[in-house]
Amino acid sequence: MKEVIHNVFIIEREGREILATKSKYGSHYGERKIGEFREWIPSRSKLAAMILKGHIIDIKPDWKVLYLGAASGTTVSHLADIVDEGIIYAVEYSAKPFVKFLQLAEERRNIIPLLEDASTPWKYNGIVEKVDFVYQDIAQKNQIEIFFANIDMFLKDGGEGVIMVKARSIDSTAEPEVVFERVVEELGEKLEVIAHGSLEPFHKDHIYVHVRKTK
Amino acid sequence: MKWNVWFGEVVEEDGKLIAKKSSDLVESFKNASNPEALPFNLPEVGLQVFESLEDYYRTLRKIAIKVTSEKVERELKREDRYVILLLKALDKLNESINMLEEKLRDIEEVKISETTEDFRERIEELKRLRRRIEKEIEDVITKIAPNLTEIAGAVIAARLLEKAGSLERLAFLPASKIQILGAEKSLYKALARMRRGKPAKTPKHGIIFIHPFIRTLPKRKRGRMARFMAAKLAIAAKLDYFKGELDESLAESVRKKYEELRREKDKPKKEEPKQERREEKQKKMKKPKRR
Repeated sequence: MKEVIHNVFIIEREGREILATKSKYGSHYGERKIGEFREWIPSRSKLAAMILKGHIIDIKPDWKVLYLGAASGTTVSHLADIVDEGIIYAVEYSAKPFVKFLQLAEERRNIIPLLEDASTPWKYNGIVEKVDFVYQDIAQKNQIEIFFANIDMFLKDGGEGVIMVKARSIDSTAEPEVVFERVVEELGEKLEVIAHGSLEPFHKDHIYVHVRKTK
Repeated sequence: MKWNVWFGEVVEEDGKLIAKKSSDLVESFKNASNPEALPFNLPEVGLQVFESLEDYYRTLRKIAIKVTSEKVERELKREDRYVILLLKALDKLNESINMLEEKLRDIEEVKISETTEDFRERIEELKRLRRRIEKEIEDVITKIAPNLTEIAGAVIAARLLEKAGSLERLAFLPASKIQILGAEKSLYKALARMRRGKPAKTPKHGIIFIHPFIRTLPKRKRGRMARFMAAKLAIAAKLDYFKGELDESLAESVRKKYEELRREKDKPKKEEPKQERREEKQKKMKKPKRR
């Protein structure tokens, strides 16, 4: 058993290594509970996929996080295990998956649910504080624009961000590699790109881009 | 300067920031919007009116869950009904615009006057309204039925919803029914003929025919495409109703099927000897008609 970052472990199970977070809560999306650990399934969560691909972000337990595209809370549930002394502001635009999410928000003490459109960050600008980390997983054409707008408004100087980009939702006709190159370049114009890479084989035609806001 | 924050207001007086707590936190939470990034950190200023950070976050979380739950419930209940009613209104509006334009043309052929100009302006206004309604339908349907919209586009998704009556009913329809939604008249005509023992073909597609993936295929391939798309739409409707999250692999598979069908050439005829083919044809003709 190896602790990767706070509360994130790689544990041995039936001869295989699996990723898990240490959690005092029960299963949220059907993942296995192994003792005090919840299995973190990379095909369900892009953040888990990124970690398993070897890119590890040292998320601190007291970080304030702005999470855009929370959906039903698969990834948020694990992130909430990690920032157990912090706060996650979780934004989601569509009501259906948020029903399930609300169960999670009721259970955890460190999640603030917001049913809002991430492309209009000024609407929650009197609720969300300055954060250490912005995480975005939104399959929309203008996702880069949305990421910039939220970083401008909420990310501390020196704070970090991760955006999960799906090639097809930006341009469904171009080659994914071409789209990714363009996206990384565009992000690099305003932010420092720390790393980027593919999420294959867990998520097809997806990349993560890890950035820092510099003054 | 004054900022709207979730717990009330923050005002700047003589270079100092002063927090003012609202008596109705739900109301102030809903109005907590500001066009520019705040020049202060919220919890810090909030400490002026909360006992501790713990108190601050506990209260914020309580209000956020309360407001969000109400919002979620409201949206889920009403939105599909809203789209359907908008769509019905849109149809009537279209009829009205066409009818009014026709009448106006008739009048203008006789005489153009201030009144006819006024008339034209009003019609233009209606057209603007029409665009607004279309945009609203698109926005809402994308939100409540992301999977249906991803596969079929906003227009067809909204029409399917209208024909089914609600998202719930659409989610419980079999694919075969979705395939011919909107072609009920020709379906029942065909069924009636069959019942009388006459040859008839059931329709291949209803509303979904206007989808470019079906419309642009040659006739003999449309049936297969329609059947495939309807199957995926049936899954999409269930996903939208029960889960509400987008699964892009559905639309992807529809696109692939379309590419496949489009590229597919006619089966080479030379390979089969003529003799056999004729026999086969005769066999086929002897088969009893479908009932």
